[in-house]
Amino acid sequence: MKKSWKLLSVMMIAMLLILAGCGSNNEGEGNAAKGESGADGIATIKERGKLLVGVKFDTKLFGLKDPASGKVEGFDIDISKAIAKHILGDENAIELKEVTSKTRIPMLNNGEIDMVVATMTITEERKKEVDFSDVYFQAGQSLLVKKGSPIKGIADITKDSTVLGSKGSTSVKNIKEKVPGVTVLEFDNYQDAFTALKTGKGDALTTDDAILYGMAAQDPNYEVVGEPFTDEPYGIAVQKGNSAVVKAINDTLAELKSSGEYDKIYEKWIGKTPAK
Amino acid sequence: MDFAGAYSADNLKFLLDGLYVTLIVAFTAIILSFLLGCIIGVVRYAKVPVLSQISFVFVELIRNLPLLLIIFFMRFALPEVGIKLGLMTAAIAALTIFEGAMISEIVRGGLTSVDKGQIEAGRSSGLTGVQTLWHIVLPQGLRRMVPPLVSQFISLLKDTSLAVIISLAELMHNAGIIIGHGYNYTIPILLLVALIYFTVNYLLSLLSKRLETKNA
Repeated sequence: MKKSWKLLSVMMIAMLLILAGCGSNNEGEGNAAKGESGADGIATIKERGKLLVGVKFDTKLFGLKDPASGKVEGFDIDISKAIAKHILGDENAIELKEVTSKTRIPMLNNGEIDMVVATMTITEERKKEVDFSDVYFQAGQSLLVKKGSPIKGIADITKDSTVLGSKGSTSVKNIKEKVPGVTVLEFDNYQDAFTALKTGKGDALTTDDAILYGMAAQDPNYEVVGEPFTDEPYGIAVQKGNSAVVKAINDTLAELKSSGEYDKIYEKWIGKTPAK
Repeated sequence: MDFAGAYSADNLKFLLDGLYVTLIVAFTAIILSFLLGCIIGVVRYAKVPVLSQISFVFVELIRNLPLLLIIFFMRFALPEVGIKLGLMTAAIAALTIFEGAMISEIVRGGLTSVDKGQIEAGRSSGLTGVQTLWHIVLPQGLRRMVPPLVSQFISLLKDTSLAVIISLAELMHNAGIIIGHGYNYTIPILLLVALIYFTVNYLLSLLSKRLETKNA
């Protein structure tokens, strides 16, 4: 038994050393590759003739795969196509790769995708790992109510209102801070909260408006009201130092906004024009 | 809950596409991990010098790590050192390594359980060590391994769902996309997926029962 302990520890240390060796070697290479793509990230894309974009496949309105056609559709996809058109002159010169919140940064830094367009909130912490474009979708916490409800925004929520939310979420904390003394009923998930709203257990449901728009899209008797009262700016992420691609994305966004195309895409998916 | 909407023809076909990927990954990994497990198990049973020590470290290392970590490692750590695997290959490789380590212990246990007298009898009737292993020990050991092996294969099949973390388009992944289309699909779709997993795995255990009675 003693012998095997020794053996095991010696082998483990040897393996760690080998891995560490690989790691440090690779770090040098990685930086070189990154520097290169930072200099002419656009050239790499043009040479390939195809833009590789990481998008979500399971998020309603933003990036959702249609089981019937196999196509992925949504706000994020339309924005990605516009970027492909800007860089390559063809909105179909694009390959969509599925990402999740857990895989998008590793895939970006592996070089498997040129950019992440996947409901990704710009945060200081993420800025240490990736570079962000300008805000391409201004999300924030909002309210979902039955059509015709007297509640038209956060200002109409009073101490006597009942708000529905998801257990332990920051959105519940936020609404309690905005309206001290408000009654909040918390549910395990948004599906339960939405059912509760439908059965009249509360006056409004609160969470990120991106999720609320998805619910409203499922049931036309409900609508999102008022402006978002928290700030969740979605950005497009690229590898750190890849300023040429960030510039191309920002130029595309500016073009879309000045031509009115952005409002069209927004209205197509969200069902109303963006707040000015 | 919207059963009719959730069970539309397109959605059912999409789930079957996912099941197909699940089965391909599972059966490839079952075959490969069984081979790997047999090799490691025999090496450790026969105490082949050096190889046996390496196998010991490999098995102890792998079976004490979470499978999720190994899947993530195959997908995102290997490319860092220049080894690029496709989604399906990464999933199969991770499952093969992890389940192979588990299976090697089952194989070793099965072989060890064969009575020493059998080996002595084989050797004294003039068979070499390898011949004894092949003709006497393995056939008897394998029979005893069937039940634990099948339960390991069943866990392997269920473990394929962990590959959802790397967005492999298997059953759970496709279920997630359908649920993304409507909150009221959650319960109907998850119930159906549970039924599919149960049916496939239950068939596997029935197969195991038949193998046992046939060999007994």
